[in-house]
Parts: sequence; C-alpha cells; structure tokens
Amino acid sequence: MDTMIFVVLGAGLSIGLGAIGSAIGEGYIAMNAIQALGRQPGASQKILRLMIIGQAITETAAIFALVMALVLLFGTDGSGTMKAVTYLSAGIAIGFGTIGSGFGAGLPGGSALKGMGRNPENSDVLTVQMIIGQAVTQTSTIFALTVSLILVTLTPEDSYVKMFAILGGAFAMGFGAIGPGIGDGIVAKNANEAVGRSPKHMGLLTRTMIIGQAITETTDIYSLVVALILIFVV
Amino acid sequence: MELVTGEQFVKALALLAAGIAMGFGAVGPGIGEGFVGGKACEAIGKRPDEQALITKTMIIGQAISETTGIYALVVALILIFVVGG
Repeated sequence: MDTMIFVVLGAGLSIGLGAIGSAIGEGYIAMNAIQALGRQPGASQKILRLMIIGQAITETAAIFALVMALVLLFGTDGSGTMKAVTYLSAGIAIGFGTIGSGFGAGLPGGSALKGMGRNPENSDVLTVQMIIGQAVTQTSTIFALTVSLILVTLTPEDSYVKMFAILGGAFAMGFGAIGPGIGDGIVAKNANEAVGRSPKHMGLLTRTMIIGQAITETTDIYSLVVALILIFVV
Repeated sequence: MELVTGEQFVKALALLAAGIAMGFGAVGPGIGEGFVGGKACEAIGKRPDEQALITKTMIIGQAISETTGIYALVVALILIFVVGG
C-alpha cells in the first residue's frame, strides 16, 4: 500500500514535468511555422510538412516520459520502502531529464522553419539538418530514460544510506540533463539558421554543429557517471 | 531497517548532496556551451573560410565554460568517496 503511493507520485512527476519541455518546443516550432507562412504562403505544403516532422521529433521526450509513467503505473509489482524509493527516483530522473531535450529540440525546428520563410527551395537541406540536430539533442533524454529504467528494475539492499544514494542519483541525472539538452538545442538552432542563409555550406555547418553538441554533452555524461556511481557503487 | 546512527545520517545526506551538486552543476555549463557552439555555427555560416580559427575558439570557449561543470563533478566525487565512503 505504501509503495503504491510512491509509484503514483513517481508517475505523476514523470509525465507532469516531462510534458513541460516538449510542449514549449512544439509551440516554438508552430510559431515559426506561422511566421514562415506569412512570408511564403505559396509554400504552405512544404512548411506544414517540415512543421509536423519537427514537432513529431520534439514529442520524443514527452513520449519517453509517458512510457515511464505507464511503466510505473502498470509494470511495477515491488513492495517495501527501498522499492518505493526506486520508483519515485525513476519518476524524478525521467521527469526532470526530459525538460531540456524537449525544449532544446524545439529550437532547431523553429530556426529551420525560419529558413523556410526565407527561401522554401531549401526545404530538403533544412529538413536533414533539423533532424540531425534534434536527434543529437535527444541524447540527454535517452540518458535519463536509461537511468530511469535501471531504477525501476533495481532491487537495492535494504539500507538507509543506499536510499539517499538512489535519490541523489535520480537528482543528478534529472537536473543534469536539463542544461545540456537546452545547450544542444541552441547549437542546432544557430546551425540551422546558418544553413537557411547559406545552404551550400551545409556539410561544414553540420560538422561544426556535431562537434559543438558533443562538447556540450560532456556535463550530461558527468551527470550520468555520478548517477551510476550513486546507484551501483555506493 | 535498522536504527539510523549519526554517521549513517551524514553519509546518506552527503550522497544526496552529491547528486544535487552534479545535477544543478550541469545546468549552467550545458546552456553556456550551447551558446558558444551556436554562435560558432553562426560565424562559420557567415565566414566559412575562417572555419579553423572559429572551431579552435569554440573549443577553447566551451572548455572554459565547462570548468564549473568539472567543479561540480569534483565536489560530487568528494562527497561520494571522501565524506560518504
């Protein structure tokens, strides 16, 4: 009975917090789509297509949060204080962890649509660049999902110290994924804007974007390492 | 669950603190490095022939933005292995 309270709380935190980022990101994409339509009403088909692709990828983070909420609600059968803490921690990790990526993935989508407003002929180049940028931005959410799934399946030893270590691991991964997620999005946003202005430099820009995003991810990797140490080593 | 001693209480809170330190510590550097990378992409879009210089500056800028993230990591590891170990 006690465990169930924490399961429900974890599920609520998971989808409640997880919906924030993606919703803002998708709104940003739609806003830019409307601006692009105002400039290029003739290219409405292409603009609509790019908007839907961009929003679909931005939704990934929220879908991960939804899946974890459903796993917590219907896929858990453990009981006891320690299991209760792992379920709550799983919800915290994925809930906070999806905010950054959701918001971040919206940024390149928005700037890709800005580029469409400038010149709808660049549709293909912008779509490819947007998808690469958004895909890399999802890394931090995937780390958070991994930690969250580990926490759901974990059966830890019964100790007071371990309980706080697991909670600490969830905070490390959850909060740690916010910054890099947004940062990756900013890199991809500017890269997409540059591609919109000069599509012939796309190869160079994609390369620089991926280097920039990889370095931005480092703090996320630190968080993952600290979270795994807290979960498994301590 | 056994009775909690004072030493265990300190260890437990140190581990929670390690998680919070690394978690919040990663927010700033992540966003900051994103700004650096983003502006580097913008600059390369404008001046593609200066890409070597821009990339070099980007990496230096991001490395310096990263330092606070490394402080957070160091503090987290100290809390885990020195205080909580």
